[in-house]
Amino acid sequence: MNVMNRFSNLILACVGLALVGLPLATPSRAQQASDPQHTLRIDFNRWHDYDELQVDLKKMADTWPDFLTYSSLGKSYGGRDITMMTINNPKTGPEMSKPAMYIEANVHGNEIQGAEVSLYTIWYLMENYGKKEMITRLVDERVFYIIPTVNPDGRQYFFEDMGSGARTGHVPVDDDNDGLYDEDPPNDLNGNGIREQMRKYVPGEGNYRISHDDPRMMEPVPAGEKGDYILLGSEGIDDDGDGRIDEDGPGGYDPNRNWAADWQPNYIQGGSMDYPFQLPTARAINDFLMSHPNIAGVQSYHNSGGMILRGPGAEWQGSYPREDIAVYDILGKNGERMIPYYDYIVIWSGLYTVHGGFIDWTNDGLGIISFSNELWNGGQYYNSPKLQEQQRDADSPIAGQKGSFFFDDYLEFGSQYSEWTEFEHPEYGTVELGGWDKMRGRIPPRFMNEELSHRNMAFTLYQADQMPKMSIHTPVVEKVGDDVYRVRVDIENDRVAPTITQRAAENNVVDPDLLKISGRNVEVISAGWVGNKFTPGATQLIDQHDLSRIMIRNGHPGNTVRTVEYLVRGSGDVTIAYESQKGGSVSTQARLR
Amino acid sequence: MHPMRQSAKPFTLAGDRAAYRRILILPALMLVLNVCALAPRAANAQDMAGYHSYDQMTAALKDLVRQNPEWARLESTGKTLEGRDIWMLELGSQKGSPMAERPALLVAANFEGNQLATSELALRMARHLLENHGSDAGIHQSLVDHVYYIFPRVNPDGAEKMFAPVQTGSATNTYAFDDDNDGRTDEDGPEDLNGDGMITLMRVLDPNGEYMIDPADERLMKKADPKKGESGTYSLYWEGTDNDNDGFYNEDAAGGVDINRNFQHEYPYYQRGAGPHMVSERESRAIMDFTIAHRNIAMVLTLGPNDNLISAPNNKGELAKAAGVDLFSFADASMADASTVGMVTIQTNRFFRGGFGRGGNSSSNSGGGGRRPATTVNNADLEYFTTVSKQYGELTGIKNAPALSKPEGAFFQYAYYQYGVPSFSTPGWGLTAAKADSTADDKPRGRGGSSSDASFDKKLADWMDGAGVDGLVAWTAYDHPSLGNVEIGGFKPFDAVNPPASVLDEMGPKNAAFAQYLTTLFADVRIAKTEVINHGGGVFRIKAEVENAGFLPTSTAHGVTSRSVKPTMVQLGIDPADLLSGSAKTSFFQALDGSGNRESYEWLIKGKRGDTIELKVVAQKGGSDTASITLQ
Repeated sequence: MNVMNRFSNLILACVGLALVGLPLATPSRAQQASDPQHTLRIDFNRWHDYDELQVDLKKMADTWPDFLTYSSLGKSYGGRDITMMTINNPKTGPEMSKPAMYIEANVHGNEIQGAEVSLYTIWYLMENYGKKEMITRLVDERVFYIIPTVNPDGRQYFFEDMGSGARTGHVPVDDDNDGLYDEDPPNDLNGNGIREQMRKYVPGEGNYRISHDDPRMMEPVPAGEKGDYILLGSEGIDDDGDGRIDEDGPGGYDPNRNWAADWQPNYIQGGSMDYPFQLPTARAINDFLMSHPNIAGVQSYHNSGGMILRGPGAEWQGSYPREDIAVYDILGKNGERMIPYYDYIVIWSGLYTVHGGFIDWTNDGLGIISFSNELWNGGQYYNSPKLQEQQRDADSPIAGQKGSFFFDDYLEFGSQYSEWTEFEHPEYGTVELGGWDKMRGRIPPRFMNEELSHRNMAFTLYQADQMPKMSIHTPVVEKVGDDVYRVRVDIENDRVAPTITQRAAENNVVDPDLLKISGRNVEVISAGWVGNKFTPGATQLIDQHDLSRIMIRNGHPGNTVRTVEYLVRGSGDVTIAYESQKGGSVSTQARLR
Repeated sequence: MHPMRQSAKPFTLAGDRAAYRRILILPALMLVLNVCALAPRAANAQDMAGYHSYDQMTAALKDLVRQNPEWARLESTGKTLEGRDIWMLELGSQKGSPMAERPALLVAANFEGNQLATSELALRMARHLLENHGSDAGIHQSLVDHVYYIFPRVNPDGAEKMFAPVQTGSATNTYAFDDDNDGRTDEDGPEDLNGDGMITLMRVLDPNGEYMIDPADERLMKKADPKKGESGTYSLYWEGTDNDNDGFYNEDAAGGVDINRNFQHEYPYYQRGAGPHMVSERESRAIMDFTIAHRNIAMVLTLGPNDNLISAPNNKGELAKAAGVDLFSFADASMADASTVGMVTIQTNRFFRGGFGRGGNSSSNSGGGGRRPATTVNNADLEYFTTVSKQYGELTGIKNAPALSKPEGAFFQYAYYQYGVPSFSTPGWGLTAAKADSTADDKPRGRGGSSSDASFDKKLADWMDGAGVDGLVAWTAYDHPSLGNVEIGGFKPFDAVNPPASVLDEMGPKNAAFAQYLTTLFADVRIAKTEVINHGGGVFRIKAEVENAGFLPTSTAHGVTSRSVKPTMVQLGIDPADLLSGSAKTSFFQALDGSGNRESYEWLIKGKRGDTIELKVVAQKGGSDTASITLQ
């Protein structure tokens, strides 16, 4: 060990010691000649299958046991644990007392990179706790629940099997109505671990031809010409002898249509199953969410397209209340500034109609501000204005499909394309198998994943930071006469999000905020909201029976101070408290004199 | 109405939620049990004679199975929060084709806890079928060819509340739910102030009140109609005190979820009694999981306060408007605003103003909003519904329904609109004089009689008078702690929705006859004809005709639309390589009308004389059939 390393270890030890004693300690100002070593190294330029994910999660839980709890929410149909990492600093209060950010990924089996973003987020928060002031504050003020894959079966199928393009989970469904379940899946005929395309050479009778631009490219023949090939879909055979090929693969539903807001039956929304939360994974997650009303932010990572999505998923749900839209707009538009190539979009109008989607349920049914990022935009392969202009020139070597081969040849070193090879197919006779690897297209090139992870994490951390946070100022007491006092107190939420969204208030799905006043000898004569404490004017009296426990059903808006005015009779100390499920609970005291 | 009550408690794992609920429930349960031990009888025992508590119902079901081991089987499809079994009684000959391959009738009752009569009817139906299969050939055949899945009491916890020392008339289960979403759960239920063992209404003289004594019947109240020069003089509440001092009376009683408002069709999102979400309850999940695991269910009959049998859907496929007990709706209305208290509108000291840009209103496509789910009976199915309704009237003689409710989130609606089978619902009895020897028409014999435009309450009171039911508590003065002088009275919670057992004894067999009639309508798919032609050279032609000999089509039109009924499969058991030409090895048809309609198939295959080939037809709702075809 050289001197420099010893020195940096010493610094780390000091920071660590400081953390134990002083959770809110600001980072050391000592500077070093180079970056400090990471406490733990995790690879973000390779993809983790289900088991590898667990290994890294456990490693992190072991490295930062004071903050991290690794647990399971339940089992998938295939018996895999739906594992979650909780990030909480117990020194700043128990989990349920702090607003929480819920982060999940990979509900569609083939949309894998969100798990790496999740890993990166846990790792980044822990590595930088005590080093970066904002990260330290975030970890101290908030709780994070992070589930890298909510579809463990789908993820594993993607990695070890033929799951290219398979969104589904693995609860069996009889897709072809023959009474058998999942009996005719795609097959890896040549055993190379890749789900390839099948083409058949039919000279002069086909509708496809090999491109003149590049012999690897297939293209449809122009009208009036004849081609030499037909395409026969993905690699597979007729496993069940019913005369059809690959017509009933694993699962056969959409795990992101099984949620309870605007849930619709299968003929309106394909893949929704028979009822919401029928799927074991959806049910386990919903049970968790419903028992954690401190969750005030949701991010569900998908791929791809480069989008920051919010609901509603269907036009007929109507638009969100304008108060809620204002909050989403601030967050979403700043997100666009943080993640180039990503657009802030409403699901139904900008993507497609979704009924029974996850973030519709968390927004409408649980009252949580919710986003879903579609990770990776194909525009990022050639991510400069100059190159993108060149792509529009048909003669350029990076125009259209040629761009894919160029990128593979020069940046992936030809690793993502399989040449066509002959295969003797039991039903089709001689065919050729070949085409693109499953890792290409919706998933970023490995070397670009760290940037993807960081930028999307940054947006999610910004959302987490802007979850509500209540504070209560020192009351101002004024004697009115005899034992009657006027008590004014400012109540503040200095973040963007409200404690209760307007939609949550309409649906009555979040407990109301409570404004409480108490004291041994205190009787409340009236309570009211002060319009503007700097100018005279009427006070809006609160028309509730029990003024010692005032309900605020639609919560406290973001970036707002409200002044409440009590007229009380009595003496001694009064305590005024503001309790909010999603904004935390605070209190203050005043003396009547 | 927040879905979860136990909000402030720290949990780390989802499983803790259930554990915590058990902790809450146990003491409450013990309390109930203790009270029961002291007063082991229902509030109005004489009216409830012949009605079965959970234990009695369980014993009666077990007796039926014990006495008819070859014809009946009892299965628990799940446990309630309080640990009761949700029983399913399967009726059908244990001999013969496997149950799962027979077209089945699902009968389910007592989703609403207070609707005990429906549960009793289901029990009596089962008993009638089991007692008469020896003497009645129709019943016998029905039990051999078909299977009945009977859920006599879907909501046993809710039903048991009717046997408590104080009857509230609540329809819900006992899931703790914050009905008014005020951050407190089940904190303001009703109280039996006058100690008569039941919750009725309180009326209070109030110059701002909306209600007046009904001039047609002084026992009843009506809403004053200013357009007729009437002004209200009374306010109405459920009997009890304002336990949480919020200005509302009894707005958050113990429980729960109304199981028949918890299903997926026209689900009343975020409404009182509907639960946190569709199929949120153990009871709804139990019957739902059973239903989707038994796709041979070809028809559904639920017994409860919804109806499409006494009145068939109209020619647009819409159900008749549901009339319920007005007094109860009036009392409910008194607490409707409880869940809107505390909406703060004041705008103060915002730090910023948010932009309303493309996030909300801009849209890159203006799509039509997509396809919407059907909410009326498909025109092509309508005639089946009217035929069945007509037959129901003939078999039971019921013309006037008792109290009904709007079928939002009702199971029978799910069964047609999403499960795709003909589905019916009825209370199973009517507001008709109970005595067989009476002039048994619909003319009530009560005070003055009620004309057709009389209120539902008037019809109900008149029926009670005629049937000898003492179903109204006379308004009696009471000194209320916060309201002062009130009067307590109105319909008794039990009698308002449950007739005397003598009515059930009469209606049980009639409903059984109807259930048996329903099973005669099932599609019945068979291989009607096969033919082999030998073309020589090892080439054979096989022809087959598949027939639906039943009355119903193999799928309703809506079952096809909703893709919830599987197409009927016709499969020739050969190696695909031997198929030379003609039909595919596996073919499907979406729906085939009944009464002898046929589909034809023709295969050219390679084979040799003496080979035997199996032809199979499988209809999800119409049975299955096989034929062995020998090549010669």
